[in-house]
Amino acid sequence: MARFQVVVNGRERAVEADGGTPLLWVLRDHMALTGTKFGCGEGVCGSCTVLLEGSAVRSCQVSLADASGKAITTIEGLSPDGTHPLQKAWVAEDVAQCGYCQPGFLMTAAGLLARKPRPTEADLREAFAGMVCRCGTYQRIRKAVRRAAKELAQGKEVRP
Amino acid sequence: MTTRRAFLQGTAATAAALTLGFRFAPASAQEAETVFRPNLWLRLHRDGRAVLVLGKSEMGQGVRTVLPAILAEELDLPLDRIAVEQALPGPDFRRLSTGGSTSVATLWAPLRKAGAAAREMLMAAAAQRWGVAPADCRTEPGFVVHPPSKRRLAYGALVAEAARLPVPKEPRLKDPAAFRHLGQRLPRFEGRDLVTGQAKFGSDLQLPGLKTAVVVRCPVLGGKVQRAQVEEARALAGVCAVVEVPTGIAVVADTAHQAFQAAQSLRVEWDEGPHAAFSSKAFEADLRGRLDAKGETARAEGDIAGALAGAARRVEALYTFPFQAHATLEPPMAIAQVESDGCDLWVGSQNPNALHERAARRLGLKPEQVRVHVTLMGGGFGRRLAWDFGMEAVEVAKASGLPVKLLWTRPDDLAFDWLHPMSLQRLRGGLAADGKPVAWQHQVAAPSILLAWMEGRRSPGIVPSETNGALDNPYGLPALEVTYHEAPYHGPLGWWRAIEAVPNVFARECFVDEMAVAAGKDPLAFRLDLLGPARTVTLGQDPVDLGRLRTVLTTAAQRAGWGKPLPKGRGRGLACAHFHGTYIAEVAEVAVDARGRIRVEKVTVVTDCGRVLNPLNAEAQMEGGIVWALSALRTQVTFEQGRVEQTGYGDFPVLDYGGMPEVDSHFIASTLDPTGLGEPPVLPLIPAVLNAVAAATGERLRTLPLPAERFA
Repeated sequence: MARFQVVVNGRERAVEADGGTPLLWVLRDHMALTGTKFGCGEGVCGSCTVLLEGSAVRSCQVSLADASGKAITTIEGLSPDGTHPLQKAWVAEDVAQCGYCQPGFLMTAAGLLARKPRPTEADLREAFAGMVCRCGTYQRIRKAVRRAAKELAQGKEVRP
Repeated sequence: MTTRRAFLQGTAATAAALTLGFRFAPASAQEAETVFRPNLWLRLHRDGRAVLVLGKSEMGQGVRTVLPAILAEELDLPLDRIAVEQALPGPDFRRLSTGGSTSVATLWAPLRKAGAAAREMLMAAAAQRWGVAPADCRTEPGFVVHPPSKRRLAYGALVAEAARLPVPKEPRLKDPAAFRHLGQRLPRFEGRDLVTGQAKFGSDLQLPGLKTAVVVRCPVLGGKVQRAQVEEARALAGVCAVVEVPTGIAVVADTAHQAFQAAQSLRVEWDEGPHAAFSSKAFEADLRGRLDAKGETARAEGDIAGALAGAARRVEALYTFPFQAHATLEPPMAIAQVESDGCDLWVGSQNPNALHERAARRLGLKPEQVRVHVTLMGGGFGRRLAWDFGMEAVEVAKASGLPVKLLWTRPDDLAFDWLHPMSLQRLRGGLAADGKPVAWQHQVAAPSILLAWMEGRRSPGIVPSETNGALDNPYGLPALEVTYHEAPYHGPLGWWRAIEAVPNVFARECFVDEMAVAAGKDPLAFRLDLLGPARTVTLGQDPVDLGRLRTVLTTAAQRAGWGKPLPKGRGRGLACAHFHGTYIAEVAEVAVDARGRIRVEKVTVVTDCGRVLNPLNAEAQMEGGIVWALSALRTQVTFEQGRVEQTGYGDFPVLDYGGMPEVDSHFIASTLDPTGLGEPPVLPLIPAVLNAVAAATGERLRTLPLPAERFA
C-alpha cells in the first residue's frame, strides 16, 4: 500500500493502494468511476480505454504507479453533460446497443480526433483494431466518428 | 411436448394472459387515491407519469425502447412520460424470460390492449366528472379532452376516479394509420446514459459493505477440489474470506484487484473427475460415427432411400460447426446479499425466475424472501438465460457471510460458458437427369441443448428442437428426410443468438447452393423453383408463408445486383431463412485475393418481420446479427485434456471494426403483426458468405471456423 496522486477529469485525487493495481480498478473500485468497463483484462477488447495525458490507453494495462502524477480523462470527464461532439454524434446515430463497450470506443475516438481531427478510414481501422463490440455496432461507430469530426472541423472554422 | 421454444414462449404467454385477464393488483386504499393500476404491468401516477413494469430484460435489443412505445401509443402519452420498472420474479411474475426474439411478437397485442383499456377508463372517468357522454371525449397526449365544451383534464387528475371503474374487456385499439410513435425512428431509451458512463450495468452497482469475489474452478468440467492451500491468499491485504463453494474456491476481497491477486496465489489440487481426457477432436470423430448409425426421424416424406438410389446424380457434403461461446463483453457476474431472512440478487439475467426459484430452494427461503433485480447487462445472446453465475454468487455470499459482487474473468467466461454445441451435418441430395432435385437427406449430429437444460429429463421436444432449421426446410422435394443423431456430452450447453438453428441453416443453405451448381442452375432460380408458388405450409411447428420467403429472396437479389457481372476474385452468395414468423434473405459480396484471403465487402439484408415498430433499432439488429455471424466464421471453442483451450478475444477472435462490411438493410412494408428481429439476421449470413466464396473461386468451404489466414 502506498499513496499516489493522479489527476482524474481535472481533479487531483489521492489513492491509497498497491502501486501494481491496474488503473481500470483504481477508477472503478477507488473512485466509483464505473463508466470505464472491464472486458478482458488483457488489453485486447478496449472497453477500459481512457485518455492518459491525452492519448488513448487500455487502463487495464496501466498500473497506478505508472499513472501517478498524470492526467487521466474517463468517459465521465469527456464532457460534464454529454455534449462532447462525439457523445452527441453517438446519440444521433443511435450507436449503442447494450452499450457496455461504448465508453471504450468513445474514448478511443476522442484520442484519435485529438491527434487527427480529420481521420481517414485507415486511421479508424488502426485506432479501433482489436476492439470488440459483441452487439456489432461498428457501422454506426464509423458514421458517428465521421459526424463528430465534421462538427469539430466546422467548429474550428467559425472560431477565430 | 416441451421444446426450447415452448419453454421460452410459455413465459411470454403467461405474461400475456395476466395482462389480457387484467388481473387487478391489490392496491391499498391509500394507493388507490394516488395510483391507477389497471393491471400488474401498468401504473399511472397522479403526476401523469406512467410506469411500465417490464418483464423483459434489456440487453441491447431495445425492449426498453419499443415496449414502452407500444403502451404509449395506445394510452396516448408522450414517450418521455413513461418510465420502466423491472418486474421482480416471484408470485406476481412467474415466468419472466427473454429469448427467441419473442418480446415484441408476444407483447404487441397485450400491451396495446392494456394501453387502450387504460385510456378508455381515463376517458370514462373524465366523462363522469363532466357529466358528458364518454363517446364525445377524446385524448391528446396525456390529456382527456371534451371538444364540444373545450374542457381538458390531465390523466394524472383522473387517476383516483379511473381506478374505481371496471376494466373494459375489449377496448378499441388505435388505427395504426394514426400511430405517432410506432414506425418512427425511436432513439434508444437509455441512449444518453450509455455515452456518458452513467448507465449502470450489473458490474457497476455498489452496495454498502459490498466485497468482490472471484472463484477458482477446476479447469476440467465436473472436477472437484481435492486439496487447497489458502493461507497465503488469506494473509494478503484486503482479503476478507477464502471459502469453498460447490464450483471451487472463492476469494472475497475489498477490491477486484485484491481478489484477482489472491485467486492467483491459491494452490489448489483438483480431482479432475471423469472428463479429464475429453478432446473436441475426439468428439468430432464421435459425431462423425453417429452419422453412420441410425438417427431419430424428425421429418420424413417420400421414399428417401429409393429416391437417392434412383437419382441420376447424387451430391453429398459434410458440414462442421464447432463448439461456440457467447463471449458477452461484460463477463458473467452477479451481486448477492444473503441474510437469514432474505436474499437480494442483482444480476443481468434473461431468465430471472429460474434463478429466483433456485436461490429460494438453496437457501430454504420463501419465494417472497428472495428478490432478483434484473440489471442492464453487457450483452446476453442466450448466455444469461443460465443461472450458474447467479447461483455461484449466492453460494459465495452464503459461505462467506458477506455481500459479494462475483466477477468472472474473460478466461473463466470461455472455460465455463454454457457453450453452443459442436454439430456435424451430412447432407445427401439427388438430382434427376434433367437437373430436377428429387431427394434431400439432412442428418444432424450434435448433443442436445434442450436435454442439458431439462437437466437430463427427456422430452419428445428434443428432436424437433435440435433439428430446427433442418426440420422446417422450406424447399419442396418428393423425398425428404431429416434425422437427429444425439451424442452424449458432459458439460452445460446453452442456446446462442438464433438459438439452435445456426449450424442447421448453415448446412441447409450451403447445400441447396451446391445442389444448384450441380444442376447447372442459378442459386436464386433454383431456390424459387424448390419453394414453389406462394402459399402457407406447416413446417415443424410453424406455419410458413412461402410467398413472404420468395419476396425477401427476390428483393434481396435485386437490391444486391444479383446476376450482374463482378470482377475476377469477387462473388455473390445468397441464403434465406424463416424464424418464428420472420422471413429474411441476405446476399453477401466477397472478395478473395490471390492468397485465398476473404473479405466480406457488402451484405444486403431484406427482412419481412411484419410491421416495423422502430426502424432505427431494426436496422441495428440487422447489423448486429450479421456481425455475430461474421464472428462465427472465425471463432471456436476447443477442448484438450478436458480443458477449454481459448482464454480471450485473442484466440476467440470475434469480428473487430476492420472486418465490418457495408450493410444495406431493407424491410418489406407490411401491416401484419410484428415478429422478432434480434436473431433472424444471424441465420443466412454464414451460408451467404460461403456460397459467395464458392461463386468467386469455386472452392466449397464446409468446416467452421475458417483458419485465421483465410481472412484479409
